[in-house]
Amino acid sequence: MSFLGTRAAVRSYGPTPALRGVTVDVAEGEILAVTGPSGCGKSTLLHCLAGIMRVDAGEVFYRGRRIDTSSEGERARLRRTEFGVLFQFGQLVAELTAAENVALPLLLAGARRREARTAALAWLDRLGVADLADQHPGEMSGGQQQRCALARALVTEPRVLFADEPTGALDTLAGEQVLGHLVRLAREQRTTVVLVTHDARVAGYADREVTLRDGVLDPTGLGIAAVRR
Amino acid sequence: MLLRLALAGSRTDTVRVVLTGLSAALATLAILAALTVLAIPTVLDGGSNVSPQYRNPLIAEAGLRVGVAATLVLLTIPVLVLAGQCARLGAPARDRRLAAYRMAGAGPRQAVAIAATEAALASGLGALAGLGLHLVGRQLLGTPGADGKLALPTDVLPPVWQLAVVVAGVPVLAGLIAMLLLRRVVLTPYGVVRRVRTRPPRPWAGLLILGGLGTAALLPPLAQYLDRSGRSMPYELFGLVVLVAELAVTLGVIVGTGWISHVTGRLLHRFARRPAGLLAARRLTADPWTGSRTLAALLAAVLFGAFAAGLRIRMSTEFAAEAEYARRSAEVSGLPYEPWDTTFYQGAYDLVYLALTIALVIAAGGLLVALAESIVSRRRAMAALVATGVPRAVLGRALAWQTLTPAVAGIVLAAGTGITLQRGLYDREVSSGWGTVCREASPTDCVELPAVVRTVPLPLDDLAGFVGVALAVVLSLLLVNLLLLRTSTAVEELRAT
Repeated sequence: MSFLGTRAAVRSYGPTPALRGVTVDVAEGEILAVTGPSGCGKSTLLHCLAGIMRVDAGEVFYRGRRIDTSSEGERARLRRTEFGVLFQFGQLVAELTAAENVALPLLLAGARRREARTAALAWLDRLGVADLADQHPGEMSGGQQQRCALARALVTEPRVLFADEPTGALDTLAGEQVLGHLVRLAREQRTTVVLVTHDARVAGYADREVTLRDGVLDPTGLGIAAVRR
Repeated sequence: MLLRLALAGSRTDTVRVVLTGLSAALATLAILAALTVLAIPTVLDGGSNVSPQYRNPLIAEAGLRVGVAATLVLLTIPVLVLAGQCARLGAPARDRRLAAYRMAGAGPRQAVAIAATEAALASGLGALAGLGLHLVGRQLLGTPGADGKLALPTDVLPPVWQLAVVVAGVPVLAGLIAMLLLRRVVLTPYGVVRRVRTRPPRPWAGLLILGGLGTAALLPPLAQYLDRSGRSMPYELFGLVVLVAELAVTLGVIVGTGWISHVTGRLLHRFARRPAGLLAARRLTADPWTGSRTLAALLAAVLFGAFAAGLRIRMSTEFAAEAEYARRSAEVSGLPYEPWDTTFYQGAYDLVYLALTIALVIAAGGLLVALAESIVSRRRAMAALVATGVPRAVLGRALAWQTLTPAVAGIVLAAGTGITLQRGLYDREVSSGWGTVCREASPTDCVELPAVVRTVPLPLDDLAGFVGVALAVVLSLLLVNLLLLRTSTAVEELRAT
C-alpha cells in the first residue's frame, strides 16, 4: 500500500457524479499534479484525499490506515497535524494579521503565543514576506496573500501539502514565485504534495501527473504538462 | 424599469423584501394604534376626563392616553432597527447584483436608487398591509363585551389625512434609510466597496451618558429650590428634561457599546491564549460597531425597562407609605382601616412591561438577522479554516466571545444607566401624610402624626429580570447561530462565490 491514495473512490453531489471509481497512489515525498478540465472532479479528489469530505464508496488511506471511515474530529486532527491545505483564495482570516494567520495552526496545536509568533515570523521570512507580518490580508496583493497562506499551510511542517489551484487567482509572475517557494520548500522538507491545477505550466513543476476526465482517471496517462512538453 | 430591477434577485433578496415589508407593517400598525388612542375625543364626565365606553382605564382616562401613545410609538424603534438589519440580509448577493447593474451602464446614483426603491416598495406594501390589518382588526374587535364596554378604541379612527401620511411616510422613510445605509458604500462595476471607519471608537459616548445623568441629577435640587421660593416646576420642563436625558443616555449606551467592544477586544487580544479568543478579539477590534449596531434595540429596551422598574418600585413604596400612614391614622382615630386598591396602577406597569417584552422580542428578531448575516458573509473563510483542520468548536467559541462580550457589557451598562437615570430624576425617599389626627370618640383628643418616610429600594428583582431576559435572548440566538455555523462551514461553501 502506498503512502497516500484512494481505491475505487466514488463521490457524487446529489445526482451529479464527481468521482466514478478513482484509484490513485501518491508516494512519500512525491509531488503529484492532478489535472483535467473544469468540473472533472479534481478538487473533489483532493478534498477526499485530505479528509475534508468523505467518499460515498471506495477507500481513502494514509500511511496504511483508512481515513474515510474516521470521525470528523479525527480527520480534522489529521488535517491540523499531518496535512497542510492551500486553496485558490479566501483562506486567510481577514481580521488577523499575516503573522497571526500563520501562527493559528500552531496555537490550535497548543503552542504558546510567543513561540507561535516566532515560528510564524520565521516562515514568513522564508517566503519573503516577513515585512508584512503585521499587515492584514486586505492590505496585501494576491501573491503576498498566497505566500502567507503557504506559510500557514507549512508552519506545522506537515507530511502532506494539498494545494487546490494555488496560483489560479494570481498573475504569471506572482504564480511563478508562489510555485517556486512551494516546490523548493516541499523538496527541502520532503513534503508530499498533491497539486490540483488545470494549468500545464503549474503541472510542469510536479514529479508526476494524473489527469481526470468526467470523474475517472484518463487511461492514456498523457497529462497536460506532458502534452505541452 | 426601476421597479423590475429593484424586485430582481435571489431567494435571499425575497426574504429581505418580505422581512422589510413585515417590519413596515408592524411599524404602521404601532403608529396607527398610537394615533387612534390620541383620536379619542376628550369627554368631561362629571368633571373628570373619562371615556366610559372603554373597559381599560389606560384608554378611558384622557390623562393616561399620551403615555399609551408614546409607548406605542416607542415600540416602532425596535421595529425600525429590525428593518435596518433586514436591509443587510443577503448583502453580498445584492452587492453583486448592484455591481452588475453598474457594469450594464447604471450610474452610482441609479444603483442607489434601485436599492432604495426596493426598500420603499417593500415598505409601501407593508404599510398598506398594516393599514389593512388595522381596519380589519377594528371591525373584528369592535363588538362590546358583556358589560357593554369596548376592549380597544375601535369606535374611533384617526383623520384620513393622518392615515395617508403614515402609509406614504413609512415607505419614504424606508427608502431614505436605505440610502443612508448605502452612504459608506461605493458601487463600482467590479463590485461593492464598503468604506470602513478605520479610526477606533473614542470614549466620548461616556460624556453623553454622564451628560444625561448629570442633567437628570440637577432636577431634584431645582425642584426643591422652586418649591422653597413658592413656585413649582412646570410639567413641560420636567418632561423635556426627562426626554433629553433619556435620549442622551440611550445614544450614549448604544455608541458606548462600540467603544466597549473595541476596548474588550484589545484586552482580549492582549490576554487571550487560545485561538478562539484571538479570533474574537481581532473581530471585535476590526469592527467594534457591529456590537452597538446589532444590539441597539435590545439595549434601548433594557434601558427603558430599568427606568420603568425604578418608577414602579417607587410607586409601590409610595403606596406602602400611604397605606402605613392610613393604618396609623386609623389606629389613632379609631375609624376602620380601608386599604387602597392599587390594582389599576400595578396593571398599568404590567402593560408597560408587556410593551417592553414585545420590544425585546422584536429586537431579538433584528439580532438574529444580524448574527446570521455575519456568519453567512464569512462562510467561505470559515469553511476554509475548517478544511485546514480548525475545529468548528473553536469557531463556535470565537463567535460566542464575539457576541457575548459586547452584549453582556452593553446590557449591564444599559440596566445600570437606566436605573441611575431614574434615581437621579426622582427623590430616593418618599413620604406620606403628616398632620393632626383626632380620635373619633373624642374629637378634641388630637395627636400629631408624623409622616411615614420610606427609602425607595433598588428594584433588584425587576432589574435582574430584564437583564436575565435580555441575556437569555442573546444566548438563545447564539445557540441558533451555532447551528447555522455548522452548515455555513460545510466544504461546499469553499465553492461558494
